Amino acid sequence: MQDLATPLTLDDVIRLRRKKKGVQFGIFVVLIGLVLWSVQATVIDDTDWQRIGTLADIGESVAHFIGIDFALIPGLLGPTIETFMIACIGTLLGLVFCVPMIWFGALNVTPFKPVTYPIARVAMTLSRSIHEIVWALIFVSAVGLGAFAGILAIAARSLGFIAKMSAEAIENIDHKPVEAIRAMGGSNLQVMIYAILPQVLPVILGIVIFEWEINIRRSSVLGLVGAGGLGLVFFRQMNTFNYPGVTTVIIAILMLILIGEVVSHYSRKALI
Amino acid sequence: MAILEVENLRAKYSARGPEILKGISFEVEDNDFFAIIGPSGAGKSTLIRCINRLIEPTSGDIRLDGTDMLSLNPRALRRKRRHIGMIFQEFNLINRMSVMDNVLSGRLGYVGAIRSIFRVFTNRDIQRALELLERVGLQDHIDKRADQLSGGQRQRVGIARALMQEPNLLLLDEPTSALDPKISREVMELIRAMATELKVPVLCNIHDVELAREFCNKIIGLQDGYKMFDGPTETLDQSSLEEIYAMEVL
Amino acid sequence: MTMPEKAKPDTLRGDNVHREWSRFKYPQSLINYGVLFGILLFFTYSVHYLNIPLERILGMFGRLGDVLANRYYPPDLDYIVDKAYFESVVETVQMAYLGTLFGLILAIFLGWFAAYNVSPSRKYIYPVARLVAMGCRSVHEMIWAILFVTILGFGLLPGVLALTMFSIGFAGKLFAEEVESIDMGEVEAIRAMGGTNLQVFVFGVFPQVRVAFTGIAIYTWDVAFRAATVVGFVGAGGMGWYLKRNIMQIETERTAAILLSIVGLVVISELISAWARSRVSRAK
Repeated sequence: MQDLATPLTLDDVIRLRRKKKGVQFGIFVVLIGLVLWSVQATVIDDTDWQRIGTLADIGESVAHFIGIDFALIPGLLGPTIETFMIACIGTLLGLVFCVPMIWFGALNVTPFKPVTYPIARVAMTLSRSIHEIVWALIFVSAVGLGAFAGILAIAARSLGFIAKMSAEAIENIDHKPVEAIRAMGGSNLQVMIYAILPQVLPVILGIVIFEWEINIRRSSVLGLVGAGGLGLVFFRQMNTFNYPGVTTVIIAILMLILIGEVVSHYSRKALI
Repeated sequence: MAILEVENLRAKYSARGPEILKGISFEVEDNDFFAIIGPSGAGKSTLIRCINRLIEPTSGDIRLDGTDMLSLNPRALRRKRRHIGMIFQEFNLINRMSVMDNVLSGRLGYVGAIRSIFRVFTNRDIQRALELLERVGLQDHIDKRADQLSGGQRQRVGIARALMQEPNLLLLDEPTSALDPKISREVMELIRAMATELKVPVLCNIHDVELAREFCNKIIGLQDGYKMFDGPTETLDQSSLEEIYAMEVL
Repeated sequence: MTMPEKAKPDTLRGDNVHREWSRFKYPQSLINYGVLFGILLFFTYSVHYLNIPLERILGMFGRLGDVLANRYYPPDLDYIVDKAYFESVVETVQMAYLGTLFGLILAIFLGWFAAYNVSPSRKYIYPVARLVAMGCRSVHEMIWAILFVTILGFGLLPGVLALTMFSIGFAGKLFAEEVESIDMGEVEAIRAMGGTNLQVFVFGVFPQVRVAFTGIAIYTWDVAFRAATVVGFVGAGGMGWYLKRNIMQIETERTAAILLSIVGLVVISELISAWARSRVSRAK
């Protein structure tokens, strides 16, 4: 083993560099191998190459989607509004339900660390691990088809992210205002309202707006499993092979997301 | 009569840690501007925070206004803290709130839960806050957010906030360490002027010996948790300073 | 023992003086409250429009618990320790891996083009790149999956492509933001030496963002893997297909087992990601 007091000779340096390069090369080879194996197993073996046909055939398939179904547009207004509302109410509901998780999930305010903190972390992980489509399926079976299931699905999916980020915000607060309010004889409630909340609320609001924007995107597909909104229209257009209709629905979704992005940009600027 | 009597005060940060204060005793009279000086790590900050029990002493006696501070239960402690105003090295303001709201928050010890939530203060409180803000020279900044102010301005908000409490004692924890020399002097002058006018004694933890000499009438010097000097400012001579600061170069 | 009342000047006690001050600032306060009221109105209207039975929400917990306990429990674990299912799990991982890999590689370039400070052409390439990133991001991965399945038929290839499109959008935007926050000094140095755009990127930009990019890559994998577990629902290969089949057949106990396996896999994936992240931050 190299004696730390002895400086490395040039030969040592060259040897170490070679070794490092060797390891890197080895990892690279393994990665390429994985890729090739994966490509072989998934793409090449699994694909029905007959059905796809040639590149020209693919081009023809894609061409079917070009075009807008104008007749569809009036009927899109309702589902679009519904999708938007599902995203809004769902995000709000998620925030309301995650308040206890934020409380339990912040190390500096959790009431009983060995029990409440793990509960919060598990709830957050569950919420974020289950895809919104799966949540939608769960809630459709619990409360039936429609927007209600969609709202609950969005709430369940967002809960984890909002709680995790908000708990982190609470853990990172500046304790100086807390010290000041305590020093003047403030109660725990007053410390919370005057020292903690003013620091934390703008951050949480920013998180909620961020998640709301993402939820618009999520709400647009919940209809695929019957949970309301544009997803259902999308599904119907696909089933009737009305490809221009599909494109029209996608454009409607894009417009919604654009609105979300604009609102999000300006509100987050106003928050700073 | 002494407003604050400290006897044999000992303190540690953690149960198994080293002892920070090793038996400090002194008295503050009600017209004093009392300074605590000493090198870094001597325990000055700890001592100031023991007075209002932001740090719990391990043993000793602290009597404020005749009340034994260490025997108070949490509720009584809160009520007592209302009468102790504290001004901090890093201002400790509520940054996102306005200057006015920060000053008004000085009355929180006197205000109940519902009124705290809705930020309802009496008209008398509001008038007092406005008057204090004018006295510290911030009448043009009342509705600005605290983080839009300069360091010197923020400390003046801190002064107004502390005085809103109508305190019987002012604690200052290195109030000028975060400010440049000219502003430091202005802030100390303001504190001295208002404390004299309102007849509030001051106990001040200060790093700059020159400022201590200029503004304070009594000084104690700490070194490594022990009291090395206790007496009127005039009697602080070079040899006492050398004793307090030991190896430090002034 | 209390101290005698100190003589304080009257004005500083708040007596005998009157100044004007109000918490409500015109017009800012009006606007703030107006916006708040408008939002509240919108929510009330939405609840009404969508016929949300708010009173059912609390009762719903009971019903959900009921449904979970009776129909979804006990989960049919034998179903998922089946060879065919295990193969689909492996396929899901491969699909996610390929999709993320290709997507990330393309996203690196997209990140370069869509970054205002180093984009090869601010007038043409930059807006197009931004648009592409936005487009890929806005379309939900399920929609991508459905579209690709329509064109290419069932199988894993549509899934890989859907995840690729998703990763391009997701990572592309994050990469671009990262590139826009670099120190331009190093870039200028390479340019001054006469480097081409590509050289500027490789030697001036990439070394600065390497670490952040790795973090973003790990994050992208996390999200893409979750999506990979369900794209099979629409025929794009992987475990999702089993999910769909069992839901359609109302095999609730098997569905529960599949859901458990999904959660379990995602948790394992997250643990690996967390480990990878800590390795990266240590290597920094």
